[in-house]
Amino acid sequence: MTAEIYPSLTQCAIVAAAFKILLFPAYKSTDFEVHRNWLAITNSLPLWEWYYEKSSEWTLDYPPFFAYFEWIMSQVAKLVDPAMLKVYNLEYDSWQTIYFQRSTVIITELFLVYALQMFVDSSHGASKRAAQAAAISILLSPGLLIIDHIHFQYNGCMYGILIASLVLARKKSTLLWSGLLFAGLLCMKHIYLYLAPAYFVFLLRAYCLSPKSVFRIQFLNCLKLGAGIAGIFGTAFGPFALQGQIPQILSRLFPFSRGLCHAYWAPNVWAVYSFVDRALIILAPRLGLTVKTEALQSVTRGLVGDTSFAVLPDVTPRVCFGLTLAFQTIPLLKLFFQPTWDNFIGAVTLCGYASFLFGWHVHEKAVLLVIIPFSLIALKDRRYLGAFRPLAVAGHVSLFPLLFTPAEFPIKTVYTVFWLILFLMAFDRLAPASSRARFFLFDRFSTLYITVSIPLIAYCSLVHQIVFGKSYEFLPLMFTSSYSAIGVVGSWVGFMVVYFTS
Amino acid sequence: MAGPSPSPHKPRRKAKRPLTSKLSTDSSVEPLARSPAFPLAAFLWPARGTVSQWELLPLILMAAGLFRWAAGLWGYSGFEKPPMFGDYEAQRHWMEITTQLPISQWYFHDLEWWGLDYPPLTAYHSWLCGKLGSLIDPSWFALFSSRGSHDPTLKVFMRATVLVSEYLVYVPAVVVFVRRYSRLSGVANWSASVALVAILMQPGTILIDHVHFQYNTVMLGFVVASMSSMLAGRNLWAAVFFVAALGFKQMALYYAFSVFAYLLGSCTFPRINVPRFLAIAAVTILSFAILLLPLVVGTLYDVKRGVDSRPDIDGPRPPLPLFQGLVRYLDTEAFYYPVVEQLVQLIHRIFPFARGLFEDKVANFWCALNVIIKIKNFPAELLQRVALLATLASVIPPNIVLFFRPRKDLLPLSFASTAWGFFLFSYQVHEKSVLLPLMPMTLLLAGSHGLSRSTRAWVGFANILGCWTIFPLLQRVDLAVPYTVLTLLWAYLLGLPPTSLSLYFYEGAGGWSHWATLFIHCSFYLAMAFWHVLALFLSPPPDKPDLWVVANVGVGAAGFSLCYLWCLGRLAVESEILPRSWFASKEKTKTQ
Repeated sequence: MTAEIYPSLTQCAIVAAAFKILLFPAYKSTDFEVHRNWLAITNSLPLWEWYYEKSSEWTLDYPPFFAYFEWIMSQVAKLVDPAMLKVYNLEYDSWQTIYFQRSTVIITELFLVYALQMFVDSSHGASKRAAQAAAISILLSPGLLIIDHIHFQYNGCMYGILIASLVLARKKSTLLWSGLLFAGLLCMKHIYLYLAPAYFVFLLRAYCLSPKSVFRIQFLNCLKLGAGIAGIFGTAFGPFALQGQIPQILSRLFPFSRGLCHAYWAPNVWAVYSFVDRALIILAPRLGLTVKTEALQSVTRGLVGDTSFAVLPDVTPRVCFGLTLAFQTIPLLKLFFQPTWDNFIGAVTLCGYASFLFGWHVHEKAVLLVIIPFSLIALKDRRYLGAFRPLAVAGHVSLFPLLFTPAEFPIKTVYTVFWLILFLMAFDRLAPASSRARFFLFDRFSTLYITVSIPLIAYCSLVHQIVFGKSYEFLPLMFTSSYSAIGVVGSWVGFMVVYFTS
Repeated sequence: MAGPSPSPHKPRRKAKRPLTSKLSTDSSVEPLARSPAFPLAAFLWPARGTVSQWELLPLILMAAGLFRWAAGLWGYSGFEKPPMFGDYEAQRHWMEITTQLPISQWYFHDLEWWGLDYPPLTAYHSWLCGKLGSLIDPSWFALFSSRGSHDPTLKVFMRATVLVSEYLVYVPAVVVFVRRYSRLSGVANWSASVALVAILMQPGTILIDHVHFQYNTVMLGFVVASMSSMLAGRNLWAAVFFVAALGFKQMALYYAFSVFAYLLGSCTFPRINVPRFLAIAAVTILSFAILLLPLVVGTLYDVKRGVDSRPDIDGPRPPLPLFQGLVRYLDTEAFYYPVVEQLVQLIHRIFPFARGLFEDKVANFWCALNVIIKIKNFPAELLQRVALLATLASVIPPNIVLFFRPRKDLLPLSFASTAWGFFLFSYQVHEKSVLLPLMPMTLLLAGSHGLSRSTRAWVGFANILGCWTIFPLLQRVDLAVPYTVLTLLWAYLLGLPPTSLSLYFYEGAGGWSHWATLFIHCSFYLAMAFWHVLALFLSPPPDKPDLWVVANVGVGAAGFSLCYLWCLGRLAVESEILPRSWFASKEKTKTQ
């Protein structure tokens, strides 16, 4: 029996919960109203109207398990304040509604605590302390705090399911449950489809095919997995399929009419692409390039809609899709031939990276899709940590524009700085040295990169307002996302190298 | 999380200074614990030994700041409660009058609407905050039209002024104090950090300053700075800081006896040192002079440019509000008379002698006694005299001890017992004043055996009880949630009831003193819990609408009296002013 490691996850969860309750009156985005509306829809309408109801502009656009989840919560909501369950009660936010919705986020996040404890328990020996540190870093993640507890969403619970599924994949005996749990997660929030290729390849190789030869198929395992997944999807979509509503659901889940870049630019290659395009507008006359005049007016100014580029060629969803798939396939090849758990987590992380960097209409919140799986292996050795560091800074800084009210400014910045100092310092002490040589200058790059974040945050949050006032509002957004994009891309390249050389 | 693992960094470790305290000999050997005794220790567990204080301190300050700011997102006193609003409006209004009116009118302007009744340093602080705020939005502090403003951005600004003032005064003072006091008592750096977090997370100060809204921590910070200067042997600075505390809030008078007793004692023992005494006296007078200088010069300047301190009054000068006899000796037409008038008005505003023995329900002796005997039927003069005598009787013993034994390690205990005496027996006490005795008592956590069970039990008990007595005040502006969260969080961190009973039930517990503590504390905790249940589910009988508040006051006053006695008793034991043999058994349990 090894000695307990302090502080324990429960202790951290209690103190974090106290802080989150204090944040009840904080700013909440339209997502709060979105979820209230879904509570109302699922509670007061029959099942087959859920995906057709559109009194509010925030229609139900998550898969059915999430709708069932809302329905369960609405049974409690009835006792708290029935008025929040009226579909026509748009923008309703009595204090009971706020307390109720905010506390459901905290309570459902308990599943994350449970999953993280599973993760710590699944590590042994010297790495247990590192696992505990990584688990606490996820639990206290500024990303989850900003997105779930201020902005308002239920990511904590769903990342808990993801982590539980990843941990179950660690043992041969629980592989099936890992796959089924992930299928369930897909029926809750379809953003996890981005990670599905890694699951597919891993389960195929490690569960459906014999460990000795890829040409020997384990039929019983295939049957169990196939039946299980069919059962889960059947439970989720079956009732709607009977009514012939699948096309309607799909049109809600995958709205391809949206633009390439989201309202705030997510820090991906398209942000860099847009940045280069804007720079080229100024340089075009000197370089002799043609500028599309109609695009000049409509270049993304932080607005949702079609993005058109003035100098560079336009990007179509097909290109995004192709690039994403291509960059997902590369790490999956290695996973197929070496289906270890570490490679699996690496592949999940790289799938997250590829879809975040090249995807169509990527939201900056999706960066958690990369950070959270990566955290599980960031402490494997110092080379992993080297790639993780710029991601931790960039990913969290890129979330800052989500909160723009003065009262939340100190919280998002101080909390993120607190988290970065605490965990980068702790990780630095905990990550063992690598058996392989570091690559040239990468550590220098990451130190320089982290240093630049300080003047950048200062400029974006204070200096810009003082110098320019309300004009050029896109500038801080563009700087933030270009800066973050460099970090995410840099850490992606770094991690690719680590993944393929270890 | 950074445990004792192979680390490339060499921990910074300073050579230990020679320990000055007698106590250090028996306390320098701290028990080597295998596991943290309470959750707060668990949080700092990985930082034992290897992490330098300079890495830990910024994290502690950031965490404490985050909780303060998050608590500040809740409502403040008087939020949307016309016609008078509350403390928030008072502070905002002072920023308004100090920035908009000539200095000579500050203490005279429309006294019915939150007239300025704090000493000049508060006025200067308001002026500075008002000037800064006006740069952002001048309408926040526009004369008259800004009254009762509840602009959300103004709230952010006001919250920020509290936080920044605290981080400029209270926080550095506490950090330095904890450092010096723990060194003096031979406490390890790591334990000192634990104590620092506990002190900074004290729920009472956060609730009153950052939620309900006031600037108490500035005054408390100056007092801590004064104590900290005493620890460092810089008595002149101690005098300066204490004058600053008095100049910010007259409430600092609660500590005045102890400051005086210590400084006088240090001039008397071991041998009489007249130059030191004269230096302290001169510096004190000079500090007061500097404090009043802007007001005096401003008044003279206003007279010269023909600005009247009371433009609303035509005709002859009204008589002085106090000390009317002065007029016989002074020439009302002399150039200095407006200054006299100004200073008399200042004293009149700061010390409202005309008000009753107590105003609202406050958990002190008089208000509790009022339940049994209707005090208001007695003549005010008699009450004033009795209150004065009772206060003196309660504060003289600790200060006699401090005078004869001017030892640095006794400072928090004697400050705490003196402040408890004032809180319990003096005149015109406000429930928020409970912060004054709580501050030095909580500082005990940084001293020798500060984190031991018995000290933690009593310091924790006083703090939880203190928060509980201000609950009615918070409840009035719907602040039950931050009250619950912050109080329970602190109780959890320090392993106190209602979250844990480990303080009272452990292996090897015993002794009559232990069982007495257990019995007293548990009955009070049960009473508090029971009271919360009652107040939540039952409304008081219609003929006694204040029943719950009165019950709160009674229990609070009884508990605070015990805290006073504990501080006094421990002071007597630690100062060794009474023969040791008297306390042989008691000391074993008290200071274990």
